[in-house]
Amino acid sequence: MLIEQLINGLTLGSIYVVVALGYTLVFGVLNIVNMGHGEIFMFGAFMGVIVTNSLGLPLYVAFLVAIIVTGILGYFLERFALRPLRGKEGVSHLAPLISTIGVSIFLENAAHHFFGAGNQPFRTSFSELNITIGSTTVYYVQILIFVIAILLMFGLTFWLSKTKAGKALRASAENLAVASLLGVNTKRVITQTVIIASAMGGIAGILVGIAFNSVNPQMGLSFGLKGLAIIILGGLGNVRGAMAGGLILGLSETFLVAYGNSGYRDAIAFIAIIVILIVRPQGLFGTSTSKSKG
Amino acid sequence: MNKRIKLLFSVLMVFSLVVLTACGNNTKDAGDKEIGADGAVKAKIGVISYLTGPGAGYGEAITNGLKLANKELKEAGEVDLELKIEDSAGKQEEALSAAQKLMNSDNVDAIIGPTLSTEMFVVGPEAELNGVPIMGTSNTAEGVPQLGEYVFRNSIPETLAIPASVQKAIEKYDVKKVAILYGNDDVFTKAGYDVMKKVAEDLNLEVVTTETFQLGQSDYKAQLTKIKNLNPDLILASALYNEGAVILDQARKMGLDVPFVGGNGFNSPEVIKIAGEASNGLIVATPWFAHKDDEKVKSFVKNYKEAYGVEPDQFAAQAYDGLYLMAEAVKNAGVADRDEIRDALAAIKDFKGVLGTMSFDEDGDIVMEPTVLIIEGNEYIVFE
Amino acid sequence: MLSELINPYYLQVATFILLNIILGVSIYITLGTGQLSLGHAGFMSIGAYTSAILTLNYNVPLVIGIIIAAVFTGFIGVLIGFPALRLQGVYLAIATLGFGEVIRVLFINWEGLTNGAIGIRGIPHLGREILSFSESLGFSPGMIGLKNNQFVSLAVFLVLLIISIGVIWFFIRQSNSRIGRAFASIKMDEEASEAMGINITYYKILAFGQGALLAGFAGALYAHLTAYISPSDFGYHRAVEILIFAIFGGSEVIWGPIFGAIFLSTMPEFLRVISEYRFMIYGALLVLMMAFRPQGLIDTNVVNWIKRPRLKKKEGKHGTGNKKDK
Repeated sequence: MLIEQLINGLTLGSIYVVVALGYTLVFGVLNIVNMGHGEIFMFGAFMGVIVTNSLGLPLYVAFLVAIIVTGILGYFLERFALRPLRGKEGVSHLAPLISTIGVSIFLENAAHHFFGAGNQPFRTSFSELNITIGSTTVYYVQILIFVIAILLMFGLTFWLSKTKAGKALRASAENLAVASLLGVNTKRVITQTVIIASAMGGIAGILVGIAFNSVNPQMGLSFGLKGLAIIILGGLGNVRGAMAGGLILGLSETFLVAYGNSGYRDAIAFIAIIVILIVRPQGLFGTSTSKSKG
Repeated sequence: MNKRIKLLFSVLMVFSLVVLTACGNNTKDAGDKEIGADGAVKAKIGVISYLTGPGAGYGEAITNGLKLANKELKEAGEVDLELKIEDSAGKQEEALSAAQKLMNSDNVDAIIGPTLSTEMFVVGPEAELNGVPIMGTSNTAEGVPQLGEYVFRNSIPETLAIPASVQKAIEKYDVKKVAILYGNDDVFTKAGYDVMKKVAEDLNLEVVTTETFQLGQSDYKAQLTKIKNLNPDLILASALYNEGAVILDQARKMGLDVPFVGGNGFNSPEVIKIAGEASNGLIVATPWFAHKDDEKVKSFVKNYKEAYGVEPDQFAAQAYDGLYLMAEAVKNAGVADRDEIRDALAAIKDFKGVLGTMSFDEDGDIVMEPTVLIIEGNEYIVFE
Repeated sequence: MLSELINPYYLQVATFILLNIILGVSIYITLGTGQLSLGHAGFMSIGAYTSAILTLNYNVPLVIGIIIAAVFTGFIGVLIGFPALRLQGVYLAIATLGFGEVIRVLFINWEGLTNGAIGIRGIPHLGREILSFSESLGFSPGMIGLKNNQFVSLAVFLVLLIISIGVIWFFIRQSNSRIGRAFASIKMDEEASEAMGINITYYKILAFGQGALLAGFAGALYAHLTAYISPSDFGYHRAVEILIFAIFGGSEVIWGPIFGAIFLSTMPEFLRVISEYRFMIYGALLVLMMAFRPQGLIDTNVVNWIKRPRLKKKEGKHGTGNKKDK
């Protein structure tokens, strides 16, 4: 039972990680919490449903379509909800938060209209494959999810620290005006970042679909809020923090159910945020305190 | 800058003016509640239904059922009912506003609805105060008919449905240990759980564990792994079909193959659509079974399919019978009078509808025998 | 004659608009110091549950129940306000969002007290209590030609109208006082205000507590208006809905959230088409407002523009108007 629950926790945690990485990336560059990320993630999951279930196409097409559609949504989000606010006089720092809340509400209810309120099945032959070791059954999906989460984390770290685009991105994160003076096309960097973050949301969406066979319009909110909690836990804008935070949350939720009271499962994330914010606002792995004055 | 504001403001003003006139047009028409020339008793029936929002599917089925029944009633010619349909969007405040509108602006003689028990808890006392008979066709929570003298329902409560299905399951399988799984943040599933707990106690079943989940959750593996390791003979799951179907799917995937007993909310063809093979072994008690060998049922299913293209679910069937019960009361009362209709409703005994034979008890609650079903070979069949 | 004019349906709609106005003002007070709270639905639920439990289980009179509920919620608000002080902007918003969710989960699980997801029903209804009270005094609605339900709706509406006017009046007075100017200054620039000797801690907590108190008050009223509450009435969507009143209407002057609450709660009643797309429209509104008019529809300019004709008549007083309150 312990091993099974450990696997459950790691699967859930890995999905949280992929969701949280999207938040972290946007926050790292723009200092903005993108409240619309959860709903973009949900759209990614629905794309998977449409491609695999309704059109009967293979899984990799689902990944492609989800990445493209969520990328486009990300572009629109940046274009309409973030860009108009940038560099405008007298716009409070809360404005992007509010306008992305707007995006999230809009997308959630749009999904209600397009896809219906209920759960959609996500059937692929891949999600049936499994190996049994002793009494424990492990599905390939679970391994895949874990691997993707790790790959994304290392890929992102590598991209940020070694590539030119990544360096431009970090320069913009440090100081937009100076980066712009140094010849970085900050507008492009920002758009790029939001698109990449959204596409990662799309990937996470498909992963949830195959892992849990459950896709519905409300999942954006519940996973989105968890993702939010994770980046606070791990430290805003911190890639490794998001990784650790996601796994911690996934495991602790699973073990609370396994050995405690499942009724409080949803509260863990939020109690953790409140405690962390009060005790250690920079997050478990954050270092700078100056940034906490968002 | 100032000009722009002025413009904005004037646009707004015009807009609100339009709205005000729109509301002005809403004149009330004092209905002529006389007996028509052809001898049919005329009455106005208000309907409060969940037509927009996440639960709009329920409201749609309900209004479809009502409209079909009304069409048939009109053709039969004994009563002439006019339906006034209002949307509640599943919210208490809006259900209350809709009820106020129906009772006071439209002067309806009786109300059918609202869809959710939570809405009924708010609307019921108000209808009682106004002396308007109100009948829920989909409220299953405990305490609904007890809201007042004028409050009725024709949907079977969980207190009737769950014991019937658990009893049957125990007879069939050798059940000693059960696990309970329920949604703790929803009125419906929580109420179902309370009944399950009591039934398990009454039948001396050992409850190995009680687990909860929340609406819209995706991952049930932690709870199911725990349940699996405790080896129950039967799982009592109080879930709505949306979550329930996913639970079944995840349970079967991890090799948890014992039968499930669900509440009324778990009973939907959608379960099979979402969970496929995994749905086999789900036992539910239902007031409505579309494949019953009964003339009334067959013709209802046929007509409904012709009109709306889908098979009627229990919400449509309950609404359909609901209006027939109301029509019976109007007919027996002979006049469109709120008090007379209430008394006639309370007096209904052994009325035959598509659900079965119905009567009301002294609270105004339905009395009838539910049918216990099981999913086998990807379809619902009668469980014996 | 009176009985034909009074339609409980319109009164009912108007009553909920008044309730939304109080909620709009409650978020406006907190926003007024630059603090964004997404926890107002949580405060509302604390108020609602406190008053419901007190009146139902301990037979506390309704009025006292509501007052205790409001004060208690305000107290919780102050308690939350202290740690919240360390947080700014986005962090505060997320922490309050977390607070709201924790409260909701707590109310779901604390079954002994709150009856869990089933909710509490049979809460004394404000209007029906007034009715039975006036009947005990020997007055019946029939005496002025009203039906019982008309009297109930009318009484509820009038009570809420008086309360709302009182609340608005109080906060207009406050915004023209030392406190109001301190709030405005903190919203503009916190560090500069501190340098000028404004006690930031005190004023921020005051604003947070006032917002919480008002939200709890509205929550208690809500409980006694619908006579039934359950944790799902106070979720994330409720918090966003409250926020939208102030964002759409405007958070600079008190008329903003009032206008926002009236406009946004009237719309769906008249245009049922809108009702279906309501939250999509809300979402689009938030984005559009932030892009084109982040201060909301009603700001100081609009208020001045409306007031201008009146001010022209008593010219000369213009520049000195502010000093009166000192």
